Amino acid sequence: MKERIGVYICHCGGNISDYVDVEELGKMFHAEDNVIISKDVMFACADSNQKAMVNDISENHLDAIVVASCSPKLHLHTFKNVASRAGLNPTNYVQVNIREQCSWPHSDKPREATVKAAGLIRAGINRVSHSESLDNIEIQVKRAVLVVGAGVAGMKAAIDLARLGNEVYLVEKDYFVGGRIAQADKLFMSGQKGKDIVAKLYAELKSYKNITLFTGATVEKVSGSLGNFHVDIKIKPRYIHVKADPTTVKKAMDECSIMVDDAFSFALTKRKAIYKNYAEALPDVPVVDIEALKNDTEFLSKYASSFDLTQQDEVLSLYAGSVLVTTGFDSYQPKDGEYGYKTVPNVLTLPEFNSLMELNPEQLVYNNKAIKKIAFIYCVGNRQTKGENKYCSRQCCTSAIYSSIQLKEKYKNITAFHLFRDIRTYGKQEILYEKSSKQGDIYIRWDEKEPPIVEQDGKSINIKVKDHLTSKKELEVEADMVVLVTGMVAREDSQQISEKFKIPIGNDKFFNEIHPKLKPVETVIKGVYIGGSCQGPKNISESVQSSLSAAAKINALLKGGTVSLDPVVARVNNDVCTWCGKCAEVCEYTAIRSIASGDKQIAQVNEAICTGCGICAPVCLVNAIEIAQYTDSEIESMIDGFMQKIEIRDKSSESEEVETTEVLMMKEFPQLWKNILESIDKSKKSIPQLAEELATDKEIITYHLMTMNKYSVVMADGMDEKEAYYYYKRKN
Amino acid sequence: MAKVNPDFVKDIRKYGADDFSACFSCGTCTAICSLTDKDNSFPRKMIRYTMLGLESEIKTSVDPWMCYYCGDCSTNCPRQADPGNLMMAVRRYLISKYDWTGLSGLLYRNLAGYIIAFLIVIVGVIGVSVKGGFDHSEWLHYGHYFEMYSIAGIFAFILFPNIIRMWYYIVWSKTKKFNIRNHFVALGELFVHMFTQKRSLECDKTKNDTLWWFEHFILVIGYLALLFTTVFLDWFATKSTVINAMGYVFSAIIFVVTFDFVIRRLRKRSEKTSFSHPSDWFFVIWLFLMGISAFAVRLLIDLGTLENNFWVFLFHLVVLAQWALIIVPFGKWTHFLYRSFAMYFAAIINKPDAEPAVKK
Ligand SMILES: Cc1cc2nc3c(=O)[nH]c(=O)nc-3n(C[C@H](O)[C@H](O)[C@H](O)COP(=O)(O)OP(=O)(O)OC[C@H]3O[C@@H](n4cnc5c(N)ncnc54)[C@H](O)[C@@H]3O)c2cc1C
Ligand code: SF4
Ligand code: SF4
Ligand code: SF4
Ligand code: SF4
Ligand code: SF4
Repeated sequence: MKERIGVYICHCGGNISDYVDVEELGKMFHAEDNVIISKDVMFACADSNQKAMVNDISENHLDAIVVASCSPKLHLHTFKNVASRAGLNPTNYVQVNIREQCSWPHSDKPREATVKAAGLIRAGINRVSHSESLDNIEIQVKRAVLVVGAGVAGMKAAIDLARLGNEVYLVEKDYFVGGRIAQADKLFMSGQKGKDIVAKLYAELKSYKNITLFTGATVEKVSGSLGNFHVDIKIKPRYIHVKADPTTVKKAMDECSIMVDDAFSFALTKRKAIYKNYAEALPDVPVVDIEALKNDTEFLSKYASSFDLTQQDEVLSLYAGSVLVTTGFDSYQPKDGEYGYKTVPNVLTLPEFNSLMELNPEQLVYNNKAIKKIAFIYCVGNRQTKGENKYCSRQCCTSAIYSSIQLKEKYKNITAFHLFRDIRTYGKQEILYEKSSKQGDIYIRWDEKEPPIVEQDGKSINIKVKDHLTSKKELEVEADMVVLVTGMVAREDSQQISEKFKIPIGNDKFFNEIHPKLKPVETVIKGVYIGGSCQGPKNISESVQSSLSAAAKINALLKGGTVSLDPVVARVNNDVCTWCGKCAEVCEYTAIRSIASGDKQIAQVNEAICTGCGICAPVCLVNAIEIAQYTDSEIESMIDGFMQKIEIRDKSSESEEVETTEVLMMKEFPQLWKNILESIDKSKKSIPQLAEELATDKEIITYHLMTMNKYSVVMADGMDEKEAYYYYKRKN
Repeated sequence: MAKVNPDFVKDIRKYGADDFSACFSCGTCTAICSLTDKDNSFPRKMIRYTMLGLESEIKTSVDPWMCYYCGDCSTNCPRQADPGNLMMAVRRYLISKYDWTGLSGLLYRNLAGYIIAFLIVIVGVIGVSVKGGFDHSEWLHYGHYFEMYSIAGIFAFILFPNIIRMWYYIVWSKTKKFNIRNHFVALGELFVHMFTQKRSLECDKTKNDTLWWFEHFILVIGYLALLFTTVFLDWFATKSTVINAMGYVFSAIIFVVTFDFVIRRLRKRSEKTSFSHPSDWFFVIWLFLMGISAFAVRLLIDLGTLENNFWVFLFHLVVLAQWALIIVPFGKWTHFLYRSFAMYFAAIINKPDAEPAVKK
């Protein structure tokens, strides 16, 4: 128990004192409450007051302090630092918010605001008197980083992390690095070729001895936590003999006659059974497609010395202090028949079309037909107000327009139509849009409600579309090819990655950061970061920006070799715990596991993982687990404090009389709630029905019903006939 | 259902349109134009039609004639798409569509065609003069006859049928009915516009450049008066001092005003004069030459030295023949005619159907 408490009540200029009687509150708490010093101050955060507090603490040997002022979001750290400077453990400090919770919201009822403030301050005093002195948790961290995904985002981050002196393990699922940009030819805005960028990054990657690249590798199992992640990776074999002579391998590759569809070129071409994604693909070691080649025994025996068919999947264990996930995106795959995809010939997606352009240097030919008129249809699989993928993929407008510019630079007599919804060539990309219109591209704007219809018409394609720029005139566009400008979607296997690392996934299925503005690359899992387009649609610069900022964050975290964490974590009372496992079951972060203690099993909390969320505490039947700084005794003392009667003098009345009052609280449901409950107990009701029956405004009923719903007093029970309103019933 | 025709833009470019592809349909031009209204929305819409190649929409539209090329739209276009110039090009295109002979289109699109036509006329006039072996006074006489017949012929066989075609596109194909009352009531518009170009005064730009409007007005009056004086009053052969003096004044007006117009075009001060199609040059230069050569011929007659300087009369005749046979029926001259009729047709289609005046 703390018995020498200092209390400081802030005027906040007049922000608080204009409504809350701060001076009266300053006189309210005395030695009986364990309060040695109680003051009202003009600005608690002012330097002069901070100095006075430090003096008070040391002169009066205070063992805890309370400041009643603004939100702890603003000044918790200010006053914790004051405590530290005076030699007091910062966990013996409690901040009470009487501005956002009293003076501001109750400016119309100053007296009640004062009464509420008194209750909150007493609760704070009670809490701090139960506070313990706790030290931050120090964790040893390994200066090694696991980067998952060697796309442009992952490669750039790996290089930076290595340059800053970290050990880097770069794990790539494919046999070759580069991700999506390896599939692209020229890229906006620089006009560089994707494959050239990949080659450049790979050379840089290889120049660092502290980067280990694993290709054909996936993450199998993850355990451990910040500072000490323990990751098993599985590496698929290439079936090329480790001692094989590269020229013989090359010869075998040239000679191989078995061809299969090439997924890398979106099946526009075939590839051999011994292959690289493209001639310059890196690492410069081909892969044997064992399924395709296994029956060609003659060929296999001819090059027996180059192949090693006995190679097996290999599992490696790695230890890393932190993890960066940069697994990128998939392109939306249209359904059969969506804008004629797969049902009308010559309908391709944008990535397919870009590949086609790359494969046709002189003349654009597809299915033996020269392609002259091309219609791009935008926002395919994106911005669907009804259905999935409501977001905009932000780079596809620019991609399509850039392809259209390439088209005219590369081939002769090309006509390009752009059937768009909105053009989003934000920032510097706008000049590409201007360039495309100036070169004569025809832009036609449609609305989501009336999408273009793609039909085959003899040898060409006919598209019907209502142009919103020409008084919604119905137009017919004749084209040789339709390109569906497909957006980005989350990787097919993002769910698995999310499960392994416990990274939350959003409604859009991309990985979620903690806060898009304030913590843009951090996840709720300590030590696990995300970067690049696995977070959401991004172009290359944006992908690299995010992965590099994650790299900087990780480096700052691991640099010192230790990490200091807030002591607000769960802790187990070893004597009481019986290892029923309930707490481990509810912990979303898997921070709890069982260990042996003496002759029994008990729960153990991994402090590096625990976020102090508190879910575990209420489920323990024997009260064996609690959260530091939020112990039962602290919380219960706060409730007691809040409910105590308060003696207060009403300054507005002339009399000197002191009035005893209770802090306002909800002793019972408001009358309206009772009426609502009475009504829905008879039969379930919808909002309009209740409004009519109780002769009350619909808005008021809605407000109360929603509050009752939130506090689990009522629950929804089916919809009415018109599917317009929910019915509500009492929740038991 | 209208079919998009991307090749149309190539066609319209030959009529002098250039930067319109840059248009991103923001509508600034329409918002800024002082002549567009709820019945006739332009120039943005016309740019859309052009980009999409909706020929039938363009052919039946009267909007291009509502524009007087003040250039406000081009000055304010955020994409420098020069909408005013497009409107001008569409007018040339329309003229070639109205012209049943197809010669207008041919000449507008090919400078070489123009030059060949001019040369043919020169050779023709000189050839006839050499072959015919007429003496000078006889020549003056034939010159006068040529003028009368060519004017009558061009009107009867070319301009009149073309106006009917224009009426068919603008009025008939849109309304599919012939409302005599409207046609009658709107006639006033035709004459007012023909003589005054009243509408151009509604333009903010023109309001600030009333000198231009006034010059234009004088030119029209001067031109029609000179035509009347030479053709009907036979200026070159008249004995009346009054008529003679009138001829001097009218021809002087023409070459002075056109001289100013040439200077304006050369200086490119305003949007209107920033881009000149060959047909614009031919129009002002030939008008100038006509005025000055007619003036000179009559002067030589009065001085009694025409005999010795007969080439001056031949020059005048060549200019006159080129004007009458090329520029009037197939060149820029027709703008003046079609624009007046366009106002008339617009008044017909925009009038509510013959509502009894009493009904209030
Ligand atoms: C048609 C098209 C054209 C584009 N053109 C341009 C352009 O011109 N300019 C521009 O700036 N942007 C362009 N973009 C966007 C650009 O492709 C992306 O911004 C960029 O590829 C994102 O890089 P990334 O590293 O985040 O993801 P990715 O390129 O997708 O790389 C992710 C990597 O992670 C690997 N991986 C995935 N899952 C796992 C796993 N479970 N385990 C291990 N490894 C895994 C993948 O194999 C891949 O190598 C275009 C996009 C499209 C669709
Ligand atoms: S970037 Fe353009 S094409 Fe892509 S979803 Fe957004 S608006 Fe549609
Ligand atoms: S719920 Fe309680 S008793 Fe059960 S394992 Fe957890 S701490 Fe122990
Ligand atoms: S406080 Fe939350 S994170 Fe920590 S052990 Fe309990 S449930 Fe898990
Ligand atoms: S011409 Fe210019 S001002 Fe007019 S709509 Fe197009 S871009 Fe806008
Ligand atoms: S040139 Fe003048 S009159 Fe013609 S469309 Fe433009 S603003 Fe209107």
